[in-house]
Amino acid sequence: MLQIDSITKTYQGTPAVRDASFRVARGELVCLLGPSGCGKSTLLRIISGLTACDSGTVSIEGVDMTATQANRRPTAMVFQSHALWSHMNVAQNVGFGLRVRGLPKAEIAAKTAAVLDLVGLSAFAKRLPAELSGGQAQRVALARCLVVEPKVLLMDEPFSALDAHLRKGLREELKALQGRLDLTTIFVTHDQEEAMELADRIVVMQGGRVEQVGPPGALYQNPSTLGVAQFIGAMNTCTSNLRHSAVDWYGVTLRMPLPDGEVALLCRPEDLSIDPNGAAARVARVIDLGPVTKVNLITETGDLLTWTCPRDQAPDLGRVMTLLPRRLHAFRGGALMGLMEAPLPAQAQGATA
Amino acid sequence: MKRTPFGGLILLVSMGLAMLGPIVTVILWAFAVKWRYPHLLPTEWGLKYWFAMFGRETVITPILTSLALTSIATTTAALICWPAAYAFARLKFPGRQLLLFSFIAAQAVPKFALFVSIAVIFLKLGLVGNFWGVVVVQMLSAVLFMIWIPTAAFRGIPPALEEAAFDLGASRLRVFVLITLPQAMPALAASYVLAFVSILFEVDSALLIGAPTITTMPLLLMSLSAQIIVQEAAVLCVLIWVPCAVLLLLSRRFMTARGIAQGFGA
Amino acid sequence: MPDLGTTSGGVAPRHIQRTGLGLQALAGLALVALPVGLLGTLILWPTVRMVTATFLIDGNLSSDRYFAFFNDTYTMANLRYTLEMGLVSALAALALSFGIALYLRFSAGRIATLIHGLSLFPLFVPSIIISYALVRFLGPNGLFQLLLEQVGFTHYRTPYLTPVGPFLAFVWENIPLPVLVLSAGLSQVSDHAVEAARDLGAKAPRILFEILLPQMRRSLLIAFALIFMGIIGAFTVPYMLGPPAPEMMSVFMQRTLGNLHDPEAAQVQAVVLMVISSIVGGFYIATMVKSSEVVR
Repeated sequence: MLQIDSITKTYQGTPAVRDASFRVARGELVCLLGPSGCGKSTLLRIISGLTACDSGTVSIEGVDMTATQANRRPTAMVFQSHALWSHMNVAQNVGFGLRVRGLPKAEIAAKTAAVLDLVGLSAFAKRLPAELSGGQAQRVALARCLVVEPKVLLMDEPFSALDAHLRKGLREELKALQGRLDLTTIFVTHDQEEAMELADRIVVMQGGRVEQVGPPGALYQNPSTLGVAQFIGAMNTCTSNLRHSAVDWYGVTLRMPLPDGEVALLCRPEDLSIDPNGAAARVARVIDLGPVTKVNLITETGDLLTWTCPRDQAPDLGRVMTLLPRRLHAFRGGALMGLMEAPLPAQAQGATA
Repeated sequence: MKRTPFGGLILLVSMGLAMLGPIVTVILWAFAVKWRYPHLLPTEWGLKYWFAMFGRETVITPILTSLALTSIATTTAALICWPAAYAFARLKFPGRQLLLFSFIAAQAVPKFALFVSIAVIFLKLGLVGNFWGVVVVQMLSAVLFMIWIPTAAFRGIPPALEEAAFDLGASRLRVFVLITLPQAMPALAASYVLAFVSILFEVDSALLIGAPTITTMPLLLMSLSAQIIVQEAAVLCVLIWVPCAVLLLLSRRFMTARGIAQGFGA
Repeated sequence: MPDLGTTSGGVAPRHIQRTGLGLQALAGLALVALPVGLLGTLILWPTVRMVTATFLIDGNLSSDRYFAFFNDTYTMANLRYTLEMGLVSALAALALSFGIALYLRFSAGRIATLIHGLSLFPLFVPSIIISYALVRFLGPNGLFQLLLEQVGFTHYRTPYLTPVGPFLAFVWENIPLPVLVLSAGLSQVSDHAVEAARDLGAKAPRILFEILLPQMRRSLLIAFALIFMGIIGAFTVPYMLGPPAPEMMSVFMQRTLGNLHDPEAAQVQAVVLMVISSIVGGFYIATMVKSSEVVR
């Protein structure tokens, strides 16, 4: 449905988006995820046509839209600040796109009523934007876009100005709505939890580049870059020198058949298991999070190690545990070098495996 | 540095007297049939002079002339200035800063001296004593109001409002007409009222360019004030000025103090 | 330095930004062409023409007219009177407004709100109305005299047709603008700055001179420049309230042109007035350009 190819955009010498490419299938909800300044909003605006890119193409249903003006593209955008027009009431705001297209009054009224019903705001048709709460205003903004039946719905951090509870509720509503309408949607957010909950696939961006694209689970389990690994979910990071296929991990030496050099070793808190040959660490803090228990340990090397375990396995303060990683990601220079499943501790130096 | 309420009260009373006293006097005279010295208030009230004024052509004509002149001048100025204000607010073009500044600089020119220079030219062109000559000069005064406040108004509209309309399919012109103008309208209307009232009461241009053929309402007021019947000038004041003051008051809601101060570039 | 916009800070909508710079330049210039043209034809051209005309006598360059101007005692008396009136009135208006602005800055409540409203009242009153109203109020047997007599004061001498008349009117008219400008400037001085000074033992006059005034310098200069320029060019007020001699320059100009039918002399008077105004205006613009946030 939507294809982005090698989009680049530079503002006054600073590249905001670098060579970004990905595809979105019909009916998919794709999240553009990344920290502030990573270029995700710029990319969204390039897709909408409000901002022109320096090079690259934007195609919708196979048609190259790069040179097309924003008001002629089959996209509609929900802004962060809802951007409702204060001099029009809700119905007039929603009907604007239809009026611009020259539809007859009766049809406008019918479609407006239908879409307001869809977002649950039928009773608010005559209200003014000033009388709406934040959540209601965003729903109207969404309705305003839905009513023109765009091929691609674009959303620029639409919920970030709302409080957490409201955000979660709107998220669910959006997912349900989007699924029902089979509407291709691109959703920009800096909140990785939001992306994980909403997206069919996530496009992770950093520094203007697309780091990785994939379903939430895949990104979580198999991050392909250091940036993605550290941005999504929590990680225990240990930087170490790899020599002769062996590397030191929090005081214990592990076998790792990779070329020599510095590596960043990352491991998820829940991927640690108790093993007598593991790294020794003293329990410093036990945090009861409710569904799981988070344990902060201090290793022999003085580093912090975080372990997530089921409630019934929660250890006592001060106890020394020995832990080994079940899955260990190794990165060098930001790129993935290898993923070790249950790496074994090496024997004493000089011995073979 | 908090002052006692007593000091504030003194300030209030003296300011009340100084600011409102003169106007109150005029209002009293407008409704007085007889006001003999040394009485503090009119000795006889009535609307006698209101009725006396309205039959007279020498009163009606200048009022109508003024209204016509001012309406035409202000409206034309609005039509040419508001799009320009949008350009100053949103578009990048060479000389933008310089040109915007030139409107501030124009404020530094003493009006009367300027009108002298224009009068000399208009004399040769036969535009003195001409209706359209006065319109053109009044437009000049209007232009100064109609650039700064509208520019500030347009700049104050969040860009997302216009972007959203464009995104939904409207052309640039439609965005301007359907979204930008209505959003800026309160401030634009306020600048219109401000310009209108200011021009309506302008003496300098009317005297230099309009006289003797064109008599405007302020000139009428000046000539009436020199006459023995005090009430007539007072009636004219109340009749014309009070509605204007009310309009200005209403429109002030849409112009913050900063807006006015900025209109002078402060 | 207050900026023009509020929320947007002057950033244009992206679909406007996206319009090529060439097209923006064209559209922009086209849109501003009419008002700028008006300014050019009605201000620039007549002024230039007038200035050159005053230097030409029968086709020859000559500054004779200016010699005549500066050597004529009557004319110079008028000029001096105009400048003095401008200076004195502007200073008085500034001083009063500053006092009012100070009061408003450090007070709150009903009285302060009323005073604020009163100080802005002159904004709604055109020159001609206040001139006429002051004639009725301050003139012989006016309301002010009547009020004074109620409290037993019978030696009232009306300022009507004396220089005090226009002086009072000028001060009256020029309260709102400095109150606005100075209030804006004062509001930028935080309460804490004043409290810190008091805490260290400073008394009111010192606070005034060492803390408040320096921060207000810009606002004071701008307000003074604007008021002064407005007063020296004023016509209606001195015409209605002032003495027949000396005259303020605008009244003099009108009489020279309208009654004496001497356009050449009138033009010289106009040019001199313009030059003086430009010098002051130059300071005004220079002060503003220094904080170049105004036009971005």
